[in-house]
Amino acid sequence: MPEVVVSIGPQHPALKEPVNFKIVADGEKIVRLELDLSYNHRGIEKAAEQRNFIRVLPLLERVCGICSHSHATVFSKGIEEIMGLEIPPRAQYIRTIIAELERMHSHLLWLGVAAHVIGFNTLFMWTWRDREAVQDTLEEMSGNRVHYGMNEIGGVRRDLTPAQVEAALERLPALEERIKKYVEMVNSEETMLIRFRDVGKMSREEALKYGAVGPTARASGVDYDVRRDDPYLAYAEVPWNVITDTHGDVYGRTRVRVGELWESTQIVRYCLENLPAGPIRVDAPKNAPKGEILSRYEAPRGELAHFIRTNGTDKVERVDIRTPTLANWTSVAVCLVNQNIADIPVIVAAIDPCLSCTSRMTVVNRVDKEGR
Amino acid sequence: MTDPVFILLYIFIFPGFFFLISYALFFAYLDRKIAARMQQRVGPPIYQPLADLIKMLGKEVINPNGVDWRVFDAIPLIALAAVMTAFLYVPVLGYSPLAFQGDLVVVLYLMALPTIALFVLGWLSRNIFSAIGGIRAVTQLFIYEVPFFLALLTPAIMAGSWSITEIVVWQQHNLWIIFFQPIGFIVALIGLQAKLERTPFDIPEAETEIVAGPWTELTGRRLALMDLATDVSLVVGSALVAALFLGGPMLPWVLAPFWLNGIAGFVLFLVKTLAVLLLLSSIKVATGRIRIDQLNDIGWKYIASAAVVQVGIVLVINYLWVVP
Amino acid sequence: MSVLREMLENLLSRPITILYPKEKVPIPESFRGRVAITDDKCIGCSKCSLVCPAQVITMIDGPREVEFKGKSFARKKRPQVKLYKCIRCGICERHCPTGAIYLKHELSSSGTDREVVIT
Ligand code: SF4
Ligand code: SF4
Repeated sequence: MPEVVVSIGPQHPALKEPVNFKIVADGEKIVRLELDLSYNHRGIEKAAEQRNFIRVLPLLERVCGICSHSHATVFSKGIEEIMGLEIPPRAQYIRTIIAELERMHSHLLWLGVAAHVIGFNTLFMWTWRDREAVQDTLEEMSGNRVHYGMNEIGGVRRDLTPAQVEAALERLPALEERIKKYVEMVNSEETMLIRFRDVGKMSREEALKYGAVGPTARASGVDYDVRRDDPYLAYAEVPWNVITDTHGDVYGRTRVRVGELWESTQIVRYCLENLPAGPIRVDAPKNAPKGEILSRYEAPRGELAHFIRTNGTDKVERVDIRTPTLANWTSVAVCLVNQNIADIPVIVAAIDPCLSCTSRMTVVNRVDKEGR
Repeated sequence: MTDPVFILLYIFIFPGFFFLISYALFFAYLDRKIAARMQQRVGPPIYQPLADLIKMLGKEVINPNGVDWRVFDAIPLIALAAVMTAFLYVPVLGYSPLAFQGDLVVVLYLMALPTIALFVLGWLSRNIFSAIGGIRAVTQLFIYEVPFFLALLTPAIMAGSWSITEIVVWQQHNLWIIFFQPIGFIVALIGLQAKLERTPFDIPEAETEIVAGPWTELTGRRLALMDLATDVSLVVGSALVAALFLGGPMLPWVLAPFWLNGIAGFVLFLVKTLAVLLLLSSIKVATGRIRIDQLNDIGWKYIASAAVVQVGIVLVINYLWVVP
Repeated sequence: MSVLREMLENLLSRPITILYPKEKVPIPESFRGRVAITDDKCIGCSKCSLVCPAQVITMIDGPREVEFKGKSFARKKRPQVKLYKCIRCGICERHCPTGAIYLKHELSSSGTDREVVIT
């Protein structure tokens, strides 16, 4: 059979975000992949340079709907480091709680999407139903379901009242129960195993070579997690484990994510139970001294990095955002070769892509290796 | 029985086309409702399938560039006509007045037509997703059709007749065929699920992979008719399985006034088809989609061999116990 | 198998969907809803209009008397919020010295009247 070019996206039901793949297929096997990103350049980095530190945080939160807290935290973390501020422990804990709740809702969402991609809509409905509990907790704590707005330079904006802590702890057992069930389902449900096993395999060497991050890398046995290797917030004080897996396929990535779900519930529980008393923020100066910093953070999708350069004013001179999805794209392009056409959505969904967050980068055309 | 008015009534009103379409819409509603409730959703209201149908009938029809619109118009009609005709031979009120020797084969043939229609549709659409979907539809047809046919022909072998009505009558005197052929029943259910392109066999219209497969370019009344054809084949398929394996719409004894038999048969028909629907919906909810190459493996390795084993068992039973 | 069991359990239990216009979603105490201004608390310092990330607060004419720290002041300007552009971030509330501008616990904030979308 001659090679056919299947063009997927930018409008396609499997990928709700703008990206275009040109897949060169031989029958049902994929030979090559041409990737076209950056349909949705939003100019956020430039806009961030125009705003002072108070007004820039809500903007950075809106880089991504799902990891909104990650972007705000990694930026405030960087600025605080430049300013030399010491954040009160209560603020650290509150940030950690929100971060882990965010990871939970992101991973539950991902599990649902992965199930939907293989047509297993029941699991999709169930995970999204259980995600509501996480969202309700977040809404109670921060006042919003998506953009929490908890951060400000120097601490957090809102305190957790005892009633909120109580309510969150009350919701946790049911959630833990459900997550245990999902762990069991992922490992035993034949209809998922058959589609996830041995699909999109990536060895440890490949993962390191192509710079995969987050659950994608950890599923290939790369034991790397910013939360442990470069601890920030309260992670150094909380007992938790880095989940890794040796399968290296979509099944492994699913296992890593459900494992992280469980770890997140434990972190949230620990933080809620051991919430230190004290102030929730320190007063931040208006201007930041001249400096450069690369702030790293383990977002739900992997390592997120903000490069920040300040010049002594109340604005950043440059902020460069490297989202985890960008780091993972190369690995997708590698994984897809020699796979079945029917597996494209599965493999793409397995890195939990967040495309519009990525669409601000200099895109390297991976086929002819030319910068654009 | 041979009164032409009666036959016309049978074909057009009850239990023919009018009843069939209302029942098909009700079936579609129930299918969605059961699936929704299993997923803890609310599900659609009862008039939803009808509302969808009317809405789509009124929508604009878009002709893809360079496509012969006459063929495009005809294909959904052919598919719908085929499955509606098939229904006439499936007993509803005890037995079908149009029954003849070999109507089982005709029904199976007519039920295969929508798949072929989908393939032609996909092939004509000049759309890469439709083309892939069409090819997948035919590939799938080759995989499930053999075990499905074998599974549905074993009751015929057992009853010694090629007429659905006579198979039902045979079951009236003996046991339901499901007790002799549980494997055949399961194979038939799986085959039916695959024929109707429902999860886990919705490979030709895999939404996340190829948009809607052959359906991609269907719009307006074409989509409405094709949808209706699918709903109707769901009814026909369930009725067929109910008739061949579950004893069909007949009580094991004959009731005193003649018309009472008809009513009892109708109630049995409803109960049995709904039971089959419940099974089909549960399969749909409990599974995800498999890949075409995996279906190929599973289909030929397990399902086809199971069907062949079933045929062998039936032949042995028939040999040992000469059916009265 | 656990899927099958759960399916059956769900089939026999009630759906958990909230049918929105008929049933209301419970809104938590801390919800960030539409912005409201208490006019006789606002000292017209225009701080809110400076920190608003969406830049939807403008100072308009609104002459009035304000009590502040026990004294009475005559102020000329008051803030006006274009709610249709507001992102409900709550930064204005956080930076207002008197607590005059605040976010209500009100979910629905769409409408066709000018009064609904501009405070
Ligand atoms: S909530 Fe935020 S966007 Fe809305 S008026 Fe206040 S500061 Fe501006
Ligand atoms: S609302 Fe508050 S911040 Fe805004 S002008 Fe009035 S007093 Fe100042």
